[in-house]
Amino acid sequence: MTAPRFLDPAVLGRIDTLELLARTVVDGFINGLHHAPYLGRSIDFAEHRAYMPGDDIRRIDWRVFGRTDRFYVKEFEADTNTNFSVLLDISRSMDFGSGAITKLDYARYLAACLTYFSRQQRDRVGLVTFDRDVVERVPPSAKHLDTVLHELDRVRPGAAGALAWPLRKIADTVRRRSILVLISDFYEDPQEVARAVRYLRGKGNDVIVFHVLDPAERTFPFEGAGEFEDLESGERIPVVPEELRERYRTMVADHIAEVGRLLVQDRMDYCLFDTSTPLDFALFEYLSRRERLVRVR
Amino acid sequence: MSFLAPLFLAGLGLVAIPVIIHLTQRQRREPIAFPSLMFLRQIPFRSVKRQRIRHWLLFILRAAAVVLLAVAFARPLLDRPLGITATGGGREVVILLDHSYSMGYGDRWDRGVRAARRAVEGLGPDDRATLVLFADRAVAASPRTADGAVLQAALNGATLSARGTHYAPALELARELLQQSERPRREAVLITDFQASGWDRSEQVRLPEGAGLTRVDLSDPAPHNVAVTGIAVERLSRSGPDRVAVTARVVNRSPDPVPEQRVTLRIDGSPVETALAVLPANGGAVARFAPVPVPSRPVRATVEIAGDALPTDDRFHAVITPRRAIPVLLVEHPDAPPAERIYVRRALEIGDDPPMDMTTGQGAIGAEELAGRAVVIVNDAPLPTAAAASRMRRFVEAGGGLLVVLGRRTAQSQAAGLLPGTAGQALDRLADRGGTLADFDYDHPVFEVFRAPRSGDLTAARIFRYRRFDPDDSVRVLARFDDGAVALAERRVGAGRVMVWTAGFDNFWGDLPVQPVFLPFVHQLVRYLARYVPADPWVTAGDVLDLGSLDASAAGAAARTEWVVEAPSGARVMEETRGGARYVSFEEQGFYELRPVGKDGAARRIVAVNLDARESDLARLDPTEFAAAVVPAAGAGARAASLDVTLSPEERERRQGLWWYLLVAVLLLLVAETVLANRRPRRGPATV
Repeated sequence: MTAPRFLDPAVLGRIDTLELLARTVVDGFINGLHHAPYLGRSIDFAEHRAYMPGDDIRRIDWRVFGRTDRFYVKEFEADTNTNFSVLLDISRSMDFGSGAITKLDYARYLAACLTYFSRQQRDRVGLVTFDRDVVERVPPSAKHLDTVLHELDRVRPGAAGALAWPLRKIADTVRRRSILVLISDFYEDPQEVARAVRYLRGKGNDVIVFHVLDPAERTFPFEGAGEFEDLESGERIPVVPEELRERYRTMVADHIAEVGRLLVQDRMDYCLFDTSTPLDFALFEYLSRRERLVRVR
Repeated sequence: MSFLAPLFLAGLGLVAIPVIIHLTQRQRREPIAFPSLMFLRQIPFRSVKRQRIRHWLLFILRAAAVVLLAVAFARPLLDRPLGITATGGGREVVILLDHSYSMGYGDRWDRGVRAARRAVEGLGPDDRATLVLFADRAVAASPRTADGAVLQAALNGATLSARGTHYAPALELARELLQQSERPRREAVLITDFQASGWDRSEQVRLPEGAGLTRVDLSDPAPHNVAVTGIAVERLSRSGPDRVAVTARVVNRSPDPVPEQRVTLRIDGSPVETALAVLPANGGAVARFAPVPVPSRPVRATVEIAGDALPTDDRFHAVITPRRAIPVLLVEHPDAPPAERIYVRRALEIGDDPPMDMTTGQGAIGAEELAGRAVVIVNDAPLPTAAAASRMRRFVEAGGGLLVVLGRRTAQSQAAGLLPGTAGQALDRLADRGGTLADFDYDHPVFEVFRAPRSGDLTAARIFRYRRFDPDDSVRVLARFDDGAVALAERRVGAGRVMVWTAGFDNFWGDLPVQPVFLPFVHQLVRYLARYVPADPWVTAGDVLDLGSLDASAAGAAARTEWVVEAPSGARVMEETRGGARYVSFEEQGFYELRPVGKDGAARRIVAVNLDARESDLARLDPTEFAAAVVPAAGAGARAASLDVTLSPEERERRQGLWWYLLVAVLLLLVAETVLANRRPRRGPATV
């Protein structure tokens, strides 16, 4: 019997601190989320190139000039100074789980892992939680990893969710180009979702969308007639699951496909996560795919 | 297939439980929390969908288990041919089929005939059977035969009768038939509705030793029956137009009251009036109709109600006849003072049942005076002689009545040839303060009404003087004085009657005329002499009518008259003769018409025939108790066996043992249901 290759979300759920959880998950990765978008000053030498008029003469490597009598300047890998923010939907609908953990827990773990990973790449990390409005906001900062993790740790399900207003407010507060990771279950019309997320793309932000769903939301495995209660509105309707299961599955699949199609169409990364999927596996899959896409670009 | 406990079949309604379960599903008490109903709301909720049965196999298993359980508790009885299977020798079987009119309730008669046919079909090749139809009498409808076709043919001809139920004659006939049989196995099959009114426990009729009884109970669990059990016809006027008031009694023999029962009176088929009766549960009520005039001919009156499950007892017939007086010729002595005449005269003037049309005469009695008279009373007057005596004799021989009252003026020698003896001298009882009437022939119609206590005491009268009378050998002495002397004697002359009273009808020879009993006594004498028979408004089915009693009224003489009797169904009824008497038996409900052959229509008679009202009471006796009383016990412990001696234990078990198999089938179904139900996927995940 071999050990499981990936970490069960239920096992992760038993890890007390998000930092440890994130480290546990991320330490196995070899690739980062992104390359640094700029070349800049840093301690990491990149290459030499011939001097060109206009270059700063302070960057001329005088040792190379002494050996070769030619002017070369040093190129360094710049320090990443990207803002990385997780936009976490904590609406009441996220507080659902048919297994060991809820969607909100899964999203918290996912956010923690991404934040931790980004911080490993020296990004400034931040966090925004929202339901129908912005609930908490941790501005991106190189020193805010602990704050973000702490904030993630104390996240509780909020009120009913709505994407448009909070995402618009978030987009207005983003001052510089950022990597924005949006985690939600997207229980809205796909067009509304796409319109709301489009605000985030407005300033050239790199928007990554994680669609988190519970397996029961996709397969609808319930049996026996009974009332179903909307977690957000409290509305109840009688349902015979056996009678509408197939139709429900079709509608959910259509919804997911439509949300993904619209977001990809807007050049956003879209990834669907199932809370039964191991977290590291999901991250791995996503990062691998993103890597491939970056190379293509 | 029949059931021993059919009430348990009501349990079939429990099939609704699995239907409801499978249609409605189990509703969760706690709702399922779900992230969003945005998709569920878009799917229209259709209740029809909810009513679709799911898990058909489970449903069928559960429904079948319920059905089989109910059927098992109802104790199914295989409807194989009645009787014991032919094993070990032939049987002697008597099939007693009840055809009383209560068997007309619902489909009892059809079920009874079917049961009889099954009994016939169940006969083995060595068996022999007799079909007996019984009501209040039992008649073998077939000879004792082993030929099933003969028995089936007899069943084809069996019809319901208008008679009531009486089990004793049927059991007696069955006992005789079984006793005469040499076969070792004997059995009676009793097919009846076990009507309580037909069983008199004091009639201890039992089947022979070793004989068995198979009971086929055709009774209904809760019969409802409303019947017209009788009507009363009251004459309202003694003078003027004759009118009658009809009153009918309607009885409700069911536990449910009838708030409004319409009761209709028909005269000669035409509805005259409809009255409403309120019938309490198991009670009766009287429906009164307005008086109707009576025509000068007999009319047919019928009181009827709307038909129910037993329509035959929903009507009651009667014949309303015009009142007819008895024509009486009273012959008095010319010298008799009015004080002596008044007693007989007043006695004849009083009374309307029937009234008496009295004519008085004196001296010689001519032919014209005798014409049309039914009775002649010679009250202490000279008896006719010579030609008058001959006329009187012919009058009596033709059916007339003659009462000779001997008194102080009666001559001793005048009675020759006409009186039933010789009148002698008057005897004086003043010395011992008068004699009394002491010896009566209470079997005679004259004195029959005085037989019961407090119904008239003739012995209270003091008789001071009476005339000696030496009766002939052919004379029947009906009353004697306390000294043994004849007081009243009778002799039949031809078709008529001659009676002699020896103590006068005045208060000089005795105080009888001033006694209360005098009036009915005189009326009884006149009725008897006139051969007056009160016309019954109706008779009961099964009664017989002596046609000889009608001859005189039809012919006015003693001549024999041939009668044509037409039943209500239109069939001609043949008269029967027994012991020289001719009679006709009324077997149908309705109006019989009797027409004398060769006579005019005035002599026509109508007889209303009704059912025995007791038969309309459908109360049921306990068949087990009945069997215990009918089947002889053969020692200790045999009583219980005799209750069920109708079948052998093996056969009984074979016919009743089906319920065991049903219970096993139910058990297997429930096991299968349990396995299948546990294999079903459980309900969906719970919310976190």
